Amino acid sequence: MAGVFETIKNAFRIQDLRRKLLYTLGLLAIYRIGTQIPVPGINREIFTQLFERFGNLGNMFDLVSGGALYSASIFTMGIQPYINASIIMQLMTVVIPALERLQKEGDEGRKKIMQIVRYVTIGLGLIQAVALWYGARDAMQSSLPAWLNAILVIATFTAGTAFIMWLGEQINEYGIGNGISLIIFAGIVTRGPSAVQTLWLYFQSWTEGGSFFLSLGMTILVVAVFLVVIGLVVFVQQAERRIPIQYAKKVVGRKLYGGQSTYLPLKVNMAGVIPIIFAMSIMMLPQTLIGFFFSGSDSPIVQWILNASQGSVGYYTLYALLIFGFTFFYTMIQFNPVEISNNLQKNGGFIPGIRPGRPTADFIKHSANRISWFDGIFLALVTLLPVILGSITRAPGLWFGGTAVLILVGVALDLVNQMESQMLMRHYKGFLD
Amino acid sequence: MTRAGLPADRQYGRRVGLAEALRHRHVRYRHDAYRPLVDAIRSREAMLRDLPTEALSEAALRLGARIRASGFPGGAAASAGDPALGRLLAEGFALVREFGVRALGLRAYDEQVLTGLVLWDGGIAEMQTGEGKTLAAVFPAALRAMEMQGMHILTFNDYLARRDTAWMGPLYRGLGLSADCVQEGDPPARRREAYGADVTYLTAREAGFDHLRSFLLMRPEDEVLRPFYAVLADEADSILIDEARNPLILVAEDRTGRADPAALDRVARDLQPGLHYDVDTYSRNAFLTEDGIREAERRLGCGDLYAVLPGRDPGEPGVADPRRTAILTGLQDALQARVLLVRDVDYLVRDGRVELVDEFTGRVADRRRWPHGLHEAVEAKEGLPPSRESRILASTTLQDFIRLYPHRCGMTGTAVSGADELHQVYGFEVYVIPPHRPNRREDRPDRLYARSAARWQAVESAIAASHAEGRPVLVGTGSVAESEALSDRLRVLGIPCQVLNAKNDEIEAALVARAGLPGTVTVSTNMAGRGTDIRLGGPDEALRDRVTALGGLHVIGTQRHESLRIDLQLRGRAGRQGDPGMTGFFLSLEDPIFVKYRFLDLVPEGLRPEDGDMPLEDPVLLREAARVQRIVEGQNHAIRSSLDRFRVVIREQDRVIRQFRDEILRDERAPGLFQRRLPDRFAAMLDRMGADPGRRRARELERAAWLLLVPRAWSDYLESMEYLRSSIHILRVGGKDPLSEFNRTAVEAFDRMRRDLEDQVAALLLTVAPDGSGFDPEEDGLALPSATWTWMVPEEDDLYGFSSPVATSIAATVNPTLWTLAALARRFRERWGP
Repeated sequence: MAGVFETIKNAFRIQDLRRKLLYTLGLLAIYRIGTQIPVPGINREIFTQLFERFGNLGNMFDLVSGGALYSASIFTMGIQPYINASIIMQLMTVVIPALERLQKEGDEGRKKIMQIVRYVTIGLGLIQAVALWYGARDAMQSSLPAWLNAILVIATFTAGTAFIMWLGEQINEYGIGNGISLIIFAGIVTRGPSAVQTLWLYFQSWTEGGSFFLSLGMTILVVAVFLVVIGLVVFVQQAERRIPIQYAKKVVGRKLYGGQSTYLPLKVNMAGVIPIIFAMSIMMLPQTLIGFFFSGSDSPIVQWILNASQGSVGYYTLYALLIFGFTFFYTMIQFNPVEISNNLQKNGGFIPGIRPGRPTADFIKHSANRISWFDGIFLALVTLLPVILGSITRAPGLWFGGTAVLILVGVALDLVNQMESQMLMRHYKGFLD
Repeated sequence: MTRAGLPADRQYGRRVGLAEALRHRHVRYRHDAYRPLVDAIRSREAMLRDLPTEALSEAALRLGARIRASGFPGGAAASAGDPALGRLLAEGFALVREFGVRALGLRAYDEQVLTGLVLWDGGIAEMQTGEGKTLAAVFPAALRAMEMQGMHILTFNDYLARRDTAWMGPLYRGLGLSADCVQEGDPPARRREAYGADVTYLTAREAGFDHLRSFLLMRPEDEVLRPFYAVLADEADSILIDEARNPLILVAEDRTGRADPAALDRVARDLQPGLHYDVDTYSRNAFLTEDGIREAERRLGCGDLYAVLPGRDPGEPGVADPRRTAILTGLQDALQARVLLVRDVDYLVRDGRVELVDEFTGRVADRRRWPHGLHEAVEAKEGLPPSRESRILASTTLQDFIRLYPHRCGMTGTAVSGADELHQVYGFEVYVIPPHRPNRREDRPDRLYARSAARWQAVESAIAASHAEGRPVLVGTGSVAESEALSDRLRVLGIPCQVLNAKNDEIEAALVARAGLPGTVTVSTNMAGRGTDIRLGGPDEALRDRVTALGGLHVIGTQRHESLRIDLQLRGRAGRQGDPGMTGFFLSLEDPIFVKYRFLDLVPEGLRPEDGDMPLEDPVLLREAARVQRIVEGQNHAIRSSLDRFRVVIREQDRVIRQFRDEILRDERAPGLFQRRLPDRFAAMLDRMGADPGRRRARELERAAWLLLVPRAWSDYLESMEYLRSSIHILRVGGKDPLSEFNRTAVEAFDRMRRDLEDQVAALLLTVAPDGSGFDPEEDGLALPSATWTWMVPEEDDLYGFSSPVATSIAATVNPTLWTLAALARRFRERWGP
């Protein structure tokens, strides 16, 4: 950790990098201010209540939108439409040959694709804004005629998303790090103070209900678990298996400097947070459906489902199994050993001791599979530990969610990496001094 | 292109539509900012004309003194309108123009003066063929030269350096300046003299090689160069884009062992395509399949080529066996030489040597080789004796070298389509200079045929038609082999023609002189492009009028090059200085550019053309075909600029280590390693030789040791980094950024090299006896390099693909469903798709 602070300190010493950092921070501040600006024509309290009905799924969106969902701010829709647009375009480049060609046109083509992504973002934003307005019709409150107010609200939501998109691109262009990731990152980080507040409230209630020392012990435990989880996530995020790669290329010099970097890195957490989100969506599907269609029902099936999701052993086991399964599934989709093996072969590369072609592909696949076992266990642990602790201590909401920690750590590591790399390029000590 | 009726306005460029302005953001078409200066320069003309030459020479001397005294105000741009700078420039340019009239009998047009100002401001001037670049260059060169810090003008070849020096020499002399040129093979003393002149004409390669040699000097007095100050690059796009990546290298012969190229060539010769090896036309790569490896192992009788040497400790993984890896490397080279490199297209065999043909100029590239074992593999394929293995002593690329000059500018006939790249890599703006006389050339639309044979038929009948009228015809073909095939067919048809290609470059001047005569048909390659000046009717005025009346030169292109600029250079041979002319391209869907990028795969079934002899007329098809070149250009640009990003750290390290060695060379720095690392030996020397002589001798020896060993360590380092760069893209698989990993490794490796270097210096000093006798730099044999080469570097693709950074980093973090669908769709398409 000390290394990280050292990096940041050094980064501020380099003028160019300092400018980039300050610029990035400035833009993030603008984003945060925006999340506090309410949309005209909406009653915030009613709006928040409406969305709390969605339960955990609502929480998930709130997380991504940096807490802007519940607050009915101009940034309520967050960056989601942009993310969706990028992915849809990614999909389309596979399906539509014209786009594929555009992508291959180099910089010029990529610029054009970025332009299309922006338009798609606005389009999706508009659709989402209409849906949001429709879902929150009851929260509309304005002196304007209803139709005019609707236009106002929808336009504001869409413009908010467009503005965030612009902020993100500005960070990409003139700042440091990936703008979109940082915006999500900033949203999560700003929940810190409210987490501390929650902890304080629990501390008070424990003190009232028991002894001061017990509650102090509990608080320390909460903080300790939080730190341990972060440490674990950092450790695993950076962990990788390095398969050495040799190239049949002639190097005439007598000494090889830096050759150890030719390896195939298999990240331990190759699947990222995706398996968690997948599992979560599926586990929540029944609840969500009930929330939508049978919210008032007291039929035994509905009650049973609602009860089951309140922390039974079976529920968590199923949850863990799903995470585990999706880890394998997603790694398999994302990671193509045959393609890697082919590329190696084309490039004259090979794994020492393994013949090219099928044996190489099998070796890589086998290695990746073994890592997935560990990854699955890790993801299940990170997700369930806070939930289980929450239900044991009867303090749900106190334990930091695994998803948030994974996102935070991933983005932070990426940022520090980038800063280091930029510093390397600028910061040169004299030779042999 | 130009607007009739607006002659005065036309001089300052044309207005362009919004679309064009947006597409070429770094191109300036209007130059109104320069108008006051051009007017001011013109207004001085009458006054200067009446002065005696001596008075003008004195004025030039005074101007030089003023320039040196004041420096140019703030290095400001002429277009900024600074009055002090404006006066200096107006006076200087007017003097240059007047001396042009007196010494050469040439009065520079306002357009040439405008070009001079643009160059002065550090721009790239795009000027059409025959508009007088040589004279325009003198304006900024003379004024820079007055600062007395050297001015280099980089020409396209040695001949032009010689010609321009002789031609423009009297003009410079009138201004009290000296001009000289460097030619290949000049001895150091001659070079030093040429570099000492105020203006030096030379090729970029000669300057680059001298820069490299200065890294190997053992005595400061052997330096031939002055510190780099200002440079003007002629044919700037060729130097800065096309040639930019081919490294210049200094090599020494080496006797390291290697796998036998001839034996490996015999194996490669008998392998079957599709069975033993596959060819990837897109990335121009051939590689062995699993069957091919087994076949090679059987033929060579060498057992498993991928077997490893056991690790040192039982638990440790094995390491690749260097001998077996060398065989694999040699096999790979042999296969490439057999399958991908074609005689009379990529290279010629002349006088028992393999000579490379430059892709962009169509000429034999002097002293250029393929890197490492590939050259030897080609020699083995052609049954030639293998040339000596060599070791790199120093290397740089033109791209890096050009940046050493604090003042840079350039000119060319084709800059617009490379403007983005020139801006991105070097920060240049491109200024389009309007022609003095309006362009009357007629560019016909492309004609596209399904089959190559139909295209050649059409080309032949087009040649026959023009030839019958008596018009001179110039045909550009894709290779030496194609030019010969076409000329054979023309002879069969009874059309006499002359062939200009890399094989007969020694009679180039004679062929070019005839090319503009009525009825001459010249079949050429890219050689008849850049720098080829075809005068209609030759020197004869009457013939010239006849050819002009017939419509001037007819230029026929027979393929699209990967770079649009090369095609434009061919077109530019017609219509020089307002002459009439006509150009047209005849293409076929079987041309390399369409095959390589699998153009037909992108065309929907229904639009696929059927065979036939008629040109294809479907507008969609034509439009898409025209786009292919743009796509390819964009891609090549992307590859080049991504490679450039890998040079940033290396460039900085190069600067640091050069400075370190230079300081030692000039004895301005003494690291004192002898005393620190070998205190006993040092004390013994002081004892034996006396304190002061001992100290002096120790310093002298240590200096020699550093000077010898620094270049060795640096060249090993560069090779390691090149190996790393070409193989690091695999890190993308693990979600890492190859560039930052590369930079990180480079910094660590540089540090390791530094420590290693200290050890080597200490080890060498350990051979010094207490009486001060020891190693001899001359005998250790690195003092003089034996050869200078440039390398042909294949432009390689990033196999692991670009994907939009947003999609990879975020989508993977947050949005599962769509992302997964995308991945699934890709997988399905790979497995079952076309």
